Amino acid sequence: MSDQTQEEGLILNGLTKILGGRVIIDNLHLTVKKGEMVSLLGPSGCGKTTTLRMIAGFLIPDKGDIRLNGKDVTLLGPEKRPSAMVFQNYALWPHMSVFKNVAYPLKVRKLPKDEIERRVHEALGVVNLMHHKDSRPGQISGGEQQRVALARALVQEPDILLLDEPLSNLDAKLRVKVREDIRELQRRLGITTVIVTHDQDEALSISDRIAVMNAGKIEQFSTPQELYDRPETEYVANFIGSLNRVEGGYADGKVIPGDEIVGIRPEDVIYSATPTPGAFPATVSLVVPRGHFSEVYLKRDDVELRAFISVDVPRVGDTGFARVVKALVYKDGKLVRVA
Amino acid sequence: MASVNTEAKAENLEVKSTSRSSVLGFFMAAPPMLLVVCFVGIPILIALTFSLGFTSGPNRVVSIIGQEIHKKDHWWGTFAAYKDVFKDSRFPGDLRTTLVVSFLSTFLTLLMALGIGLYQRIMGGRIAAIMTTLCLVPLFVPVVISSWAIHTFYAGDGFMRSLLSHFGINFPTVTSTVSAIVIGSVWTSLPFAILMVTSGLQSIPDALIETAQDAGAGFFRIVRTVLIPLAITPIVIAGTFTAIGIMGSFTIPLFLGPNQPTMLGVEISNFFGAYNRPQQSIVMAFIVFTAASGIALIYIWANVKSAKQSGRI
Repeated sequence: MSDQTQEEGLILNGLTKILGGRVIIDNLHLTVKKGEMVSLLGPSGCGKTTTLRMIAGFLIPDKGDIRLNGKDVTLLGPEKRPSAMVFQNYALWPHMSVFKNVAYPLKVRKLPKDEIERRVHEALGVVNLMHHKDSRPGQISGGEQQRVALARALVQEPDILLLDEPLSNLDAKLRVKVREDIRELQRRLGITTVIVTHDQDEALSISDRIAVMNAGKIEQFSTPQELYDRPETEYVANFIGSLNRVEGGYADGKVIPGDEIVGIRPEDVIYSATPTPGAFPATVSLVVPRGHFSEVYLKRDDVELRAFISVDVPRVGDTGFARVVKALVYKDGKLVRVA
Repeated sequence: MASVNTEAKAENLEVKSTSRSSVLGFFMAAPPMLLVVCFVGIPILIALTFSLGFTSGPNRVVSIIGQEIHKKDHWWGTFAAYKDVFKDSRFPGDLRTTLVVSFLSTFLTLLMALGIGLYQRIMGGRIAAIMTTLCLVPLFVPVVISSWAIHTFYAGDGFMRSLLSHFGINFPTVTSTVSAIVIGSVWTSLPFAILMVTSGLQSIPDALIETAQDAGAGFFRIVRTVLIPLAITPIVIAGTFTAIGIMGSFTIPLFLGPNQPTMLGVEISNFFGAYNRPQQSIVMAFIVFTAASGIALIYIWANVKSAKQSGRI
């Protein structure tokens, strides 16, 4: 076994899956390093859950192979794979207590009773749920159920942890808390993790790297920062963050006629009341308050741009100057330059 | 002050509306309740008093016509008719046959329903769907027809024996045996049991099964630890309904069963009609009723368990 395969926890090599005559996953390649947390991000129907289910062993790929820690697991069933999955709706068995839910995988492995007890207590301690060990899943909150599901996965000490939209059933505040808990745990235990999500905030805030998926393919696989700053395709630029999308060309801080697509992040549009180098006259046409910032629509001679402004927010009808700090220029959907 | 008055009025209106809807609810529930009381409750009460030797009033005519009628010798009645039944040499055999047939048929029905239900739940596909649909066919065949069909199939001069005799096999005559009653009972009970068990198994989310698979569990462990416990309420309900139905069955044991010992449903009819001993037949009916009530307790337990699990109580 080479050092490289040791380092690379999970390798998906040319995976293809056809379901109901439709190509769901199309020649997908992905490498996840050991101890890394990777998000599969994309809209509904892009194939991210199908990919995760192939990694877990619930689906067998029609083409390609899956290697985990250097071992080919493509044809192994889920019960034979060294992976553990947390399902979207937690999938806790309602007829078992929290303790029994977490102990189940260990009982299947026929571990001694005292070891089962020790490991379950450890796992419940990690997710702070020891006080609920005798409760039934129906008696605890959604967030706690999610943590039980996580404990049940962690107790197996899997080589890879698979999370299928684990936060989508939680309310917004709890989601932020639980995702931080998951990230902290993942870092502490150093467990290779693949998480499926359609929430870009979630993906950006907890992942080491993100694979943005579209129509069964990976559009870009990069770090969150790189993905945001330098989206390689127009699809990724549109999907991650906000974007002013203008058809034309770009030169000297202005949008000019052309056959390219210019993408400008609203935070890359700077408004000032007085002229600055590279800024052009602009009139405020609309102001939409968004809480801690406002979305301001600025009409320039060449283009109308959205800008995010958090201090000294202008009013509708104000005139000033708008400068573009950075523009992403795409041709045929691919990034050609960053201006 | 004005707002206090408005709140009081609103509360008043709410109370009135609640009491109106509860009165309406009572009147909607009253007709079926009245029907049950008149056509089930009162006849049961009259039959009970008759079995205890109260021979006047509504029991007067049947007491005059019937033989071996015992009249009450205490204020609460008499157990003389009950003693008659327990002393009768036919009764222990009949009771044993009834209990054995009920247990065996229920067990086989549930086993088959579970087998088909599990096959459909786990494998799915067209074959499973066809099998389930075929198993529902007996639901639409009257019991008397199916009993006759089974009779002609397994009789001494029936299809099975005739067919197998061509190959030199002497297939036993199944009709007029307890086995024939079991076959007939399973045939008639299977559709309902399949409907109940299949719906219970189908309602288990895939994720609960997949989580068990992911945890390393094999097929039989998943069935034992996840599927059956989660579908236990419909399984128990199917079992209790099947057992109670078989215990009180008449047509199948009459057509397919032996003359003696036979099931209590047939014996009750014999005592009532052929032997003209209505009091003893009612005593037997009460014994069957008591056994069925025991099974009904299991049904209630299953419902309470299900309600507790879903947080309804």
